[in-house]
Amino acid sequence: MHTAPTSEIPAQLIALFAALMLVAQLLLAVQRMLLTSIRLFAIQSLFLAGIAAVVAYSHNAFHVYVVVALTLIGKVAFLPWLLDRQVRRMKIIQEIEPLVNFPMSMLICGGLTLLGYLVARPFTSLERLGNNTLAVAITLVLTGFFLMINRRKAITQVLALLTVENGVMLAAVALTTYGMPLVVELGIFFDVLVAVMILGILVYRIRETFASMDISKLSQLKG
Amino acid sequence: MSLLASLLFVPAGAALGCSLVRSRRVMAVLGMLAFGLTLAVGVALLLRVAADGAVTEWSGFLRADALSAWMVVLISVVSLATSVYAGRYFQRDLVARVVTEWQVKEFFILTPLFGCGMFLAVLANSLGVMWAAVEATALSSVLLVALYNRRTSLEGAWKYVILGSLGLALALLGTVFIYAAACKGSSRQLPSFDWSYLVTIAPQLDPRLVRLAFVFALVGYGTKAGLAPMHTWLPDAHSEAPSPTSAMLSGVSLKIALYALLRFHILTAACLGPAFSCHLLLGFGLLSMFLAAPFILVQENLKRMLAYSSLEHVGLICVGIGLGTPLTIFGALLHMGYHALTKPVLFFAAGNIHQSCHTLEFRLIGPGMVRLLPVTVLCLGLAAVAATGLPPFGLFFSELTVISGGVAAGQMTISVLVLAALIACFCGMLRQFTRILPGEPKARSLGDGRRMDGVPAMGLLLGGLLVFSVWLPRPVLDIMHQAAGIIGGEP
Repeated sequence: MHTAPTSEIPAQLIALFAALMLVAQLLLAVQRMLLTSIRLFAIQSLFLAGIAAVVAYSHNAFHVYVVVALTLIGKVAFLPWLLDRQVRRMKIIQEIEPLVNFPMSMLICGGLTLLGYLVARPFTSLERLGNNTLAVAITLVLTGFFLMINRRKAITQVLALLTVENGVMLAAVALTTYGMPLVVELGIFFDVLVAVMILGILVYRIRETFASMDISKLSQLKG
Repeated sequence: MSLLASLLFVPAGAALGCSLVRSRRVMAVLGMLAFGLTLAVGVALLLRVAADGAVTEWSGFLRADALSAWMVVLISVVSLATSVYAGRYFQRDLVARVVTEWQVKEFFILTPLFGCGMFLAVLANSLGVMWAAVEATALSSVLLVALYNRRTSLEGAWKYVILGSLGLALALLGTVFIYAAACKGSSRQLPSFDWSYLVTIAPQLDPRLVRLAFVFALVGYGTKAGLAPMHTWLPDAHSEAPSPTSAMLSGVSLKIALYALLRFHILTAACLGPAFSCHLLLGFGLLSMFLAAPFILVQENLKRMLAYSSLEHVGLICVGIGLGTPLTIFGALLHMGYHALTKPVLFFAAGNIHQSCHTLEFRLIGPGMVRLLPVTVLCLGLAAVAATGLPPFGLFFSELTVISGGVAAGQMTISVLVLAALIACFCGMLRQFTRILPGEPKARSLGDGRRMDGVPAMGLLLGGLLVFSVWLPRPVLDIMHQAAGIIGGEP
């Protein structure tokens, strides 16, 4: 049996938050409204911050508090605000029909969740925080990939990329005691911020040039 | 004097300077000065590492061993040539009203930042910081790829950033797994993430986690390095970027991602033995080479063809490392160097042709380029001869080293496969260049003003290629032997 360094209540809180992250992801997979999708991503990031906060509190680790603050500022507040503004400015409300319809998407995401648990099972003995965190992390990465393939609006693809990143950060919390060294966390934080801004610029230019945000129109380059 | 820190501050300073001045000429000169300076620093670093071994600075945050020093020199050379070429290139573009003043300024600000990111990637000791730096190179080059703001360039940039970011997200997961292994294998609560520390404890790391980490790093950094089958962004981004940027992407940026992958390869080999990661590298390398050959043969666009040729060369480098003997690794490192000197010349020449003919389609460029742009075609021809691996150029020797190393190691099948792929790529390149270079031009003259375009940059690289093909200075040989030793797992 693995040894849980955290006591019972923090471990359960973490498991709960991780499960809620997964719920947010599944809702995102079947969400057509762009603004609601952005909210869902913000909520998912909020739970990620919650997990980090529990870790920080139970280990009394200062640098994890910094990670909590960065997640709150960046992923819960700033990025959703940025994307929100862009969506409103472009006056687009809905995602166009995805490649795979919503009931089928749900089914596929369910399958991916099972796959995530299967992949994570050999490593549960390494987890420091409950049994499910790594499985959820891998599921977030897998479903993020699926979302990216399935959706055609540029903004939804950006959101999918961000959920993949959330999954990776959850894996970092699940597998290590205190997350990664602060300088690395800072580097990742700024990269994600800059990435979304650059993607925003590109989306804007694509919109200007193609009069559309539909990525399937980007299909001239072949071979 | 702090060598490593200056490599980061000089390009960053140049970027800052370019954002402050208005004159285009001053920006071009700043770029050249910055990368000229980093080349000097790079050579000094190379000499020092060759003599005394690894250099560390900022209490171990920055570290340069032989492998990093070699990469620093390559980055500096290609960036310097790019800056030399870019000034006149954009002047011609401005005259043709293809770009605006603001876009040119964007280029001169982003290019040093791109270089700075690459320097940080090879100098960072922590694997996490290395990841962040590779991501930074991707982000700083995206807007360069999209610079022309055409429909196709936006498409190329979008594919580049989405696939690159997805790949790098996987690489980050691999990085996290390595750190998790370090947390478990170390008694400390928050162990160091430094590569130099990890490599000392590598044998004690959890093999399952390390294996998983390597697979994720291979797919992740492999995407950025353009390994097949994750290469689909590569021809799009390379063909749509302005030629100076294509040169940097192909000449060094791919190799930076390979460098990151190599760091994981060394850790994995130290933990699991060399077989696992070597076999994977071999497989992906051979696949890339074989996939490149038919695409070179049927390609209709000059720069896309050059991009597929990069795929072939990256594949060969991977095969050389995957074969895993000191000789083949040495050949692979040598190949990195010669390729960095050759490929930018091809892209610069392609840029000249693009500006003169306003197209990159072979069909429209038509035969007889040698009459219309004799100097450009001379450089293009020489570089093409080099890139296809003919003597007397260095790529012939490095390819020969890899193949003969493979034969000496008893890997007959792989050596024959490599040879077959090389010959196929050679035939493809030969066919494509004979379509446009010789023959009678279609009664068209381009004027005399464009004859000497880009000669300084191409001359610099081709001169370097010729000199270093016949003569490798002692310290360079030492550095490469040291680097091959590091990759081969010597302490």
